[in-house]
Formats: sequence, C-alpha cells, structure tokens
Amino acid sequence: MNRHATADALGLHERASATPERAGAPRATALGSAPAWTEGKLGLRAQQEWFAAIVTTPQNEPAPVAEQSAGRLITSSQTLSSLERIDIYRRGYHARLIECLVDDYPVLEHALGGEAFETLSRRYIARHPSNGPSLNYFGRHMAEFCRTEPLPEPGFAADLATLEWAIVLSIHAPTAEAIGFEDLGQVPSERWPGARFRVNPSLEILQLDYPVNAYLQAYRQGKPMALPAARRTSVAVYRTGRSVWRLELEPTMVTLIESLAKGATLEAGLAEVQALLQHEAEHQIAKQVSHCFQHSVSSGLFSAILL
Amino acid sequence: MANRFQLPNLGIGLGLRTTHYSTILEQKPAVDWFEILSENYLRTQGRPLDFLDQIADIYPVVMHGVSLSIGSTDPLDRQYLSELKALRDRAKARWVSDHLCWTGVAGKNTHDLLPMPYTEEALAHVVDRVRAVQDFLGAPLALENPSSYAEFAADSMREWEFLGRLAEQADCALLLDVNNVYVSSKNHGFDPLTYLNALPFDRVVQFHVAGHTDHGTHIIDSHIGPVIDPVWQLLAAAHRRSQGVPVLLEWDAVLPRCV
Repeated sequence: MNRHATADALGLHERASATPERAGAPRATALGSAPAWTEGKLGLRAQQEWFAAIVTTPQNEPAPVAEQSAGRLITSSQTLSSLERIDIYRRGYHARLIECLVDDYPVLEHALGGEAFETLSRRYIARHPSNGPSLNYFGRHMAEFCRTEPLPEPGFAADLATLEWAIVLSIHAPTAEAIGFEDLGQVPSERWPGARFRVNPSLEILQLDYPVNAYLQAYRQGKPMALPAARRTSVAVYRTGRSVWRLELEPTMVTLIESLAKGATLEAGLAEVQALLQHEAEHQIAKQVSHCFQHSVSSGLFSAILL
Repeated sequence: MANRFQLPNLGIGLGLRTTHYSTILEQKPAVDWFEILSENYLRTQGRPLDFLDQIADIYPVVMHGVSLSIGSTDPLDRQYLSELKALRDRAKARWVSDHLCWTGVAGKNTHDLLPMPYTEEALAHVVDRVRAVQDFLGAPLALENPSSYAEFAADSMREWEFLGRLAEQADCALLLDVNNVYVSSKNHGFDPLTYLNALPFDRVVQFHVAGHTDHGTHIIDSHIGPVIDPVWQLLAAAHRRSQGVPVLLEWDAVLPRCV
C-alpha cells in the first residue's frame, strides 16, 4: 500500500477582484428571448435583474436582448456597443467559474481534454449557479453531474471527480495532527482492549468503481495513463498538517477504520477485522490484523487515543 | 493618522496569495502588511486559516472582500456578515473593505463586481446598507471604486460624485484604487484627475495599484503584470492629495515568484 501526498492543493482557487478572461470563449451572435421590458424607467431591482439575466446567459446561447433593448439599460461607448459592454461581464462571469472548476478538478480536465472540460463546465454553471458568497464549495456537484452528462466514460469521470472533490474537502476540514507509535507506547497494556481512537477529522473513505487514484498519481508523476478499466477500490483521503494524503485501503483497513470511527473499542474493531479474515490460516490472521492496525497508525489516520 | 477614522498608515503592502504562503513563513520578507481576500478564509476550517493565523501573528493584516454585494437589492446576508466579523477578530484585521458594486440578485451570486447605476435611488439604497453593515461590524467599512466596463442609461451623476456623496452620507471610509480610476477613465472617457479632485481624501484609508490589460477597444482590470507609468503618476497625484495612505499592489494572475 502506498500513501501518496497530494501537493496540488496549495494552489486551491483564490477569489480575486480582478476581471478574469478566457481565450476563445464563444460570443453570442443572435437574439434570444428578452426580459419583459419595453416601456418606462426601470427601478434598481429591475435593472439588476435585467443585467444579471444577460450576464448569466450561457455564452453559447444568444444574448437574451436585442441591441436596441440593451441600449435602454446600458449606453454604448465610442468603441463598444451596449451589448458588447455587457458582454465583458458575461465573459468574466463564465471565465471566473470555469477557472474555479479547473482549480478543483485539474485531473478531470486532463482526462476529458481542455475543450470537453470547458463544455462540461459551462453546462455545470448553467445547472448549478452559485448561490452563496464563497466559491469554496461551488464545485461540489461535479461527480453527480458527470453521471448525467453525455461523457465517453461517465462512471470514470464521476469517480475521478469524487476523488478530486475529497481532496478539496480535506483542505477545508479542521486541521489535526496524527498520533504515532510513541503515543501508543504511553497506553498501559490493560487499557488497550477498551481504547477508542479518534479518526482524523478530515478523513473520507471513498468506494470507487474505477482505479482513479492510480490514474491521478500517474498524472501527478508526469506519466499520464490511458483511461483504466473498471476495478473497485477503496481510497482514504485525509490531511495531516499541511499535507493531503491519498491511501488505497485493503478491505481489512476499511473495516477497522469505519468501526473505530463509529466509536467501537479497539478490541471490537479488531474482532471485526478478524471475522473478515476467517477463511485465512490462523497464523495469517494474527499477522494481518496486526499489520492492519500498525499500517493505520503509521499512515496517520488517527488523531487521538481516548481512554 | 491622517484620516478621519484614525486608521494607521501601514506603509507598503501586498495581496496575500496562496502560492506565497510557505515563502512568507520561511523567509519573512520585508513587507509592511498583507491584504487578504476575505472570502478565501470563509466557509473553511482548514489549511487556509492555519496559514492565515501564522501570517497574522507576524504581519498586520487588512481584509478585502468581494461578496458583500453592498449595492444589491437582495437583503444583506447576515450569515456572511457574521463570518466576516469573526474573521476580522481572528486575524486582528485593521479594517475591512469591499467594493461599490453588486455581485448578484435573486439569490444568485455571479462572483463578479457588477456596476451600479449612479442614480438617487441607488445612492439612498447603498447609504442605508453601508450604515447597516458598519453598525453590524462596529467599525467603518472602506468601499473601493471598482473598474467598470458599462454605464447605465439611467445615470444621473458620475461615479466620483456618487462615491463622494455616499462616503459623506454613510460616514464610511474609501479605498481608492487608482488603477480602477485609470481603467474606467479610458472605458468611459473622462479625466482621471477630475475623479481625484472630487473625492474627500480625509476618508481615503488605502490605495490600490495594479496592472491591467488593454484590448484597444476597452481595458480590463486583470491584475496582470507590472503597473504602467500613467497609473503610477495617478498614484502620485492621489498621494499628494492625502496625508499618508497605505498602498497595496494587487497582482492576481501570472504571479512572480516570491524571492
């Protein structure tokens, strides 16, 4: 089992007051359905609703107003028409949110290709517009969204998005340091059976249909691989201090960690692991149970011992 | 303390960006203060706050937001304000700023700094909301002039008049972004010095400078690349009108390495 550090997350997307730009964004060329306004002055509320309706219209759709109507809201300049001036905001709106999704899902972008990912992102923005002040969780629907989209391998894309989103969540989860074997050494032997363990608060165990962790790791190492065939894997994603970790788990570790996370004592958790190994030779069972616990500790999955 | 709010002149600051976290903590560069993007530290319990806590222990910090949406006709987001206030207290931020703009309506957030119509109706609306925010924060709010690419047909005054009247009536502070003045002056065809001459400089507590991108037909406030000479000259003109205001360089794309 290998534990891989994910060094990407330092560059998690940042908000900024700059106006983002994105090359090659398609421009509206025709007229769509205009908001209802033909006569009279608009109040502030109506002005904002009208402006926002244009800005949030997908760029591959025609602008929802004619130039003449746009001129009733926004003046033209010496160089730009009214609609062209509003279109600067329209491009900025989509560019900013696409940037955010690229930051959250760099490997999904690689897997799909830049153009396909941008198309996916534009459809995502239309389906899941932001409704809060923070962009930290804007991308949270991507995995389920991938399953509904006409992608070549929607299951693979959804699993990859699940893994990348777990990395984002681990960054925003409370920080905890891991306990080590020196901490275990402080526990009196008679207290071991009843000891409980607090798992790392950022820990998420993913059950995946595709080996997307291996795919992500290959990408990180600069050795991109072909889209892999389906194979069920369990992956733990968690953070200790500044480092985000991904760890492929054997079934015994999944059982132990999930049991301890629910509050079971170490004795009860190890009994569940033992039950999972009932078809193994007896000396193998003891060895594997011991290995399972030691590997969980050395991987930093626990943040406290509760006696 | 040259402004009416007695806020300190912190000197020369930089925008705090994630790519520089480790270098700042390891090398402790000679920067007078850092400005944080408030929203980067909201709705998180994790690593961004860990870094901020450490940096705020070493450097003075100022908060700059992009989601207050002070001009929106949606109700003020009290949850957001509570989080903003908690972050200010945690980071011991010297003041809190945001933009004269709106970012969304009808519950949706565009995360863009959308332009205000400069009308009497909009002025009264924003004055009320700035007062409410200041009451909530228990401190003056600094509002920044945004770059803009569009002007409303309904405008009954220019941006500088709107901003000046807003500051007086709401008794708020101003963050003067001289690059934004320059960008808007080119996009809308006005003399940037006319803008500066109209502002109440005793309310200006911070300056911004930044790079931009000239597309020929219009200029975008991209925060890319170095500041051009005309913007530096505008900063000098603003500086002469003030009695000591901290200056911050914004640089958000194609960031230089921190050395």
